[in-house]
Amino acid sequence: MKIDAIRQREQLTGWLLVIPAFLVLLLIYAYPIARSFWLSVFTQNLGTQLKPVFSGFHNYARMAFDGRFWETMMHTAEFSIASVVLELLLGLGIALVLNQSFRGRGVVRTITILPWALPTAVMGVAWAWIFNDRYGVINDLLARLGLIRSEINWLGEPMLAMLAIIAADIWKTTPFISILLLAGLQSIPADLYEAHAIDGANPWQSFRQITLPLLMPQVLIAVLFRFAQAFGIFDLIAVMTGGGPAGSTETVSIYIYATVMRYLDFGYGAALVVVTFLLLVLAVALASFFLSKLRAQASGAE
Amino acid sequence: MAQTNLTSLPASPGLKFRSIILGFAIVLIVAFFLGPILWQLLTSIKVNQAIAAVPTVYIPQLNQLTLKHYQDLFVRRPFLSYIFNSALVSITSTVLALGLGAPAAYALARLRIWGEGFILASILIFTLFPYILLFLGLLEVVKVLGLGNNYLALIVPYTAINLPLTILVMRSFFQQLPPDLEDAAKVDGYSIGQMLVRIVLPMTMPALVTTGILAFIFAWNEFLFALTFITREPMKTIPVAVAQLGGASTFEIPYGPIAAATVLGTLPLVLLVLFFQRQIVQGLTAGAVKG
Amino acid sequence: MGKRQKHSLKQRLLQSLGLFVAILLSIKLLFALPGLTQQPVTLTFLIGASEVPTWKELIKQFEAKNSDIRINLIEGPNATNLLEDLYTSAFLLGGSPYDLVYMDIVWVPKFAAAGWLMELSQLFPKEEQAKFLRGDLEGGRYRGGLYRVPVHTDAGMLYYRKDLLEQAGFKPPDTFAELMQISQALQKQGVVRRGFLWQGRQYEGTSAMFVEILKGYGGFWINPDTLEVGLDRPEAIQAVQFLVNTIRDGVSAPGVVTYQEEETRRIFQSGEAVFLRNWPYVWYLANKEDSPVRGKVGLKPMVHAPGQSSAACQGGWGWGIAKTTKHPEQAWRAVQFFSSSDAQRQFTLMAGGLPTRRELFKDPQLVQKYSFLPTMLEVLDKAVLRPPIAQYDQASDILQRYLTAAFTSQLTPERAMKAAADETRRLLGTKG
Repeated sequence: MKIDAIRQREQLTGWLLVIPAFLVLLLIYAYPIARSFWLSVFTQNLGTQLKPVFSGFHNYARMAFDGRFWETMMHTAEFSIASVVLELLLGLGIALVLNQSFRGRGVVRTITILPWALPTAVMGVAWAWIFNDRYGVINDLLARLGLIRSEINWLGEPMLAMLAIIAADIWKTTPFISILLLAGLQSIPADLYEAHAIDGANPWQSFRQITLPLLMPQVLIAVLFRFAQAFGIFDLIAVMTGGGPAGSTETVSIYIYATVMRYLDFGYGAALVVVTFLLLVLAVALASFFLSKLRAQASGAE
Repeated sequence: MAQTNLTSLPASPGLKFRSIILGFAIVLIVAFFLGPILWQLLTSIKVNQAIAAVPTVYIPQLNQLTLKHYQDLFVRRPFLSYIFNSALVSITSTVLALGLGAPAAYALARLRIWGEGFILASILIFTLFPYILLFLGLLEVVKVLGLGNNYLALIVPYTAINLPLTILVMRSFFQQLPPDLEDAAKVDGYSIGQMLVRIVLPMTMPALVTTGILAFIFAWNEFLFALTFITREPMKTIPVAVAQLGGASTFEIPYGPIAAATVLGTLPLVLLVLFFQRQIVQGLTAGAVKG
Repeated sequence: MGKRQKHSLKQRLLQSLGLFVAILLSIKLLFALPGLTQQPVTLTFLIGASEVPTWKELIKQFEAKNSDIRINLIEGPNATNLLEDLYTSAFLLGGSPYDLVYMDIVWVPKFAAAGWLMELSQLFPKEEQAKFLRGDLEGGRYRGGLYRVPVHTDAGMLYYRKDLLEQAGFKPPDTFAELMQISQALQKQGVVRRGFLWQGRQYEGTSAMFVEILKGYGGFWINPDTLEVGLDRPEAIQAVQFLVNTIRDGVSAPGVVTYQEEETRRIFQSGEAVFLRNWPYVWYLANKEDSPVRGKVGLKPMVHAPGQSSAACQGGWGWGIAKTTKHPEQAWRAVQFFSSSDAQRQFTLMAGGLPTRRELFKDPQLVQKYSFLPTMLEVLDKAVLRPPIAQYDQASDILQRYLTAAFTSQLTPERAMKAAADETRRLLGTKG
């Protein structure tokens, strides 16, 4: 009886402590998405003088044939996969370097965190300047090395603009991955390696057989988290190219923003949000499934 | 087999080779991460002629140096207001996120409450949502409540985007905290509230600082909401103001002041990283690994 | 001891601060109370940075004449679409900070449909309206209402090399076929590298250019009254085919698919091409002292198919008044001043934009400086609007995408235009 009362009070206090935070979370995260589901079955745009008119699945039908939507999806996928894979490889390399002991390691570690902490939008401006065709430092360095004769218009050519954005993103977010992986590396006990070496394994073998499998949890988290972020990339592209030239760097988020803020096509924008949300959920589910399978395989191989 | 023997031997040529590779890698890493920042700094203190010089001037002469770009920034744009806005919004939302998130984290770590698993799962999922999925719904809320061009339109979302991280990091700290002290306090007749304030809070100060720094960084750097919910020039935050100075939406302002703006806009964060590097790493790993 | 001293110091500081604030407040109140009725009203608007110096001059004159109005000019980006985005997001959020809207012609339907603009026909008498160029005025209408007073105009036209045509004994072309013929003949003779330059990059300029070719073939894009889409009709496909042919036959540089106005202007000005489709600003630059084609350039309305007529895409800027303004009367006075004959003349003399009042095209002072004004009036009378529909931005973006696909041979003109037409229809309908 008394224990019940105590437990009940604990429940109550617990909920009182959780509820304010949870309400704020619901308001900012859950409500907008739910609202988008609702809005997506209405046509609410300039054609209807911004009044909502119920239109069923018209927005979704329109999306199925909207070439631009599928193109932005492709760009988003290209960007996400390229940047996450490259960041993972580079981040792993940096984590391995930082895991060695050398003089000035603290300073180097601080430097590698720096890009992560800086505002993406501001550094986007900086990277646009780095890739500037006339005065940018990239073209100057390439010219000094004798690799190019005339200036490259990095942000003016479709393929190159995407490369420039990926480069800037790698700079910005590799630190995050290397911090995570470094923490993972440091949690691997050193005697595991020693024992393995006594068994006659070379460094590459111990990397394959000890480091990688034990690092898998961190890799998994980093990849999932980064993939979701990359999928919604907005700041960097909005600042560096605005989605151009000719829409070649337009990702889904840039398209959603334009649909709402430029076209005032709220119903269609909501449908875009819904589909992007569902695709993201699907992609994350697939990725986590795939990665956990990989992890099981890796630990099984050991 | 022979190979294995070779490399596992502590032979000095191999070691030397390794340290050369390592040194080379370190130099590359430092150059890659520091380069863009230094280039920006260099551009911001060069006179216009040196900025526009081809080939690029890497080591400017004394007479090619100037601080005029920084002055321009304050004359042509309300740059002090931008800094003030960013600071106000970031600090307020950080304090709010800690104030709301820490108690929730405590409850999730210590008290057995109904629906705990559900709450934790939703928090984890929320961390994966890109902001672009939220902005349409939030725009409506802001319009209905008349919060356009009001700091609250940024403070509340920033509090929310920092709550998942706060809750996850704080929860892991609470879980590492030995429960003996709290038990003792309960025996002494403290209520849960009193116990939190008098006993738990002082012990979790370091964790609060760690989380607070991360929350501050996230709030300071946010772009999308700030771009959408604030349209009055003197109320804009640093990321939006700087992005609208340069980049794809050039205001036809020369590169010098743009570079100066990027330097000033990132300076507070550079300082944070220099002073709190350890805490940032701790917080990030705690938040992500436990998450 | 030391602590107490510090404490009292802090108190004193606070006290004196309080006193200071109190004095400030009372001074402000003292001055504000009697001045309440004469307090000048502030009107705010946003303008592209490059136009700021000229407008500052006009604003100075306006403020001198209207001591009860102050103007707060905010410097914006130069790119038209970015300026539009800034105005849009401000209005969308509500409580817009702007009283006046400096508008490109294609924004009018969107801003009017969204309910952001004040209807002006009550303030703007018919006989006053009649003094403006027809196309510019029409561009300010949406569903019968008038929302914009034009202050400078713009229209696309054909520039040609007078000297080269005369040498080879050609008359300036009237039809698409003649244009192709002359280009190829001159190219064959080795007089020039390229025949005809136009803007093929995926951006608004391509839509503007295409409107002229389309009308020249007798086609239409979207009927603003019925929302009928004409992009997959034979005339529209012919129009695309013509542009594709110019690239295929080497009359246009392959690079036109990436060119905007400036790229084409520079190539034409360097003497590498016979024909150029562009806006009026080219005239001043092509006839500057250091220009290799100075005095060798003629202009005329765009060519057309036999039996059809020329078309000039209507552009230009004007003033609207925000519905949310608290000072509509003062805002209208500002619009009247900025669109007056005198202000327009000054603007043209200072910055070179074309006026919107018909009389100014014969104004001696202006004609003396810009001899081409009377010819320009001929072009302007051929002006056609881009479809004045609320969803213009979206429709134009769809068209641009598929034009680019056709120009770069990713799709045939038929397939590109079919897809563009279908997508546009889905956009404009509420039901599939």
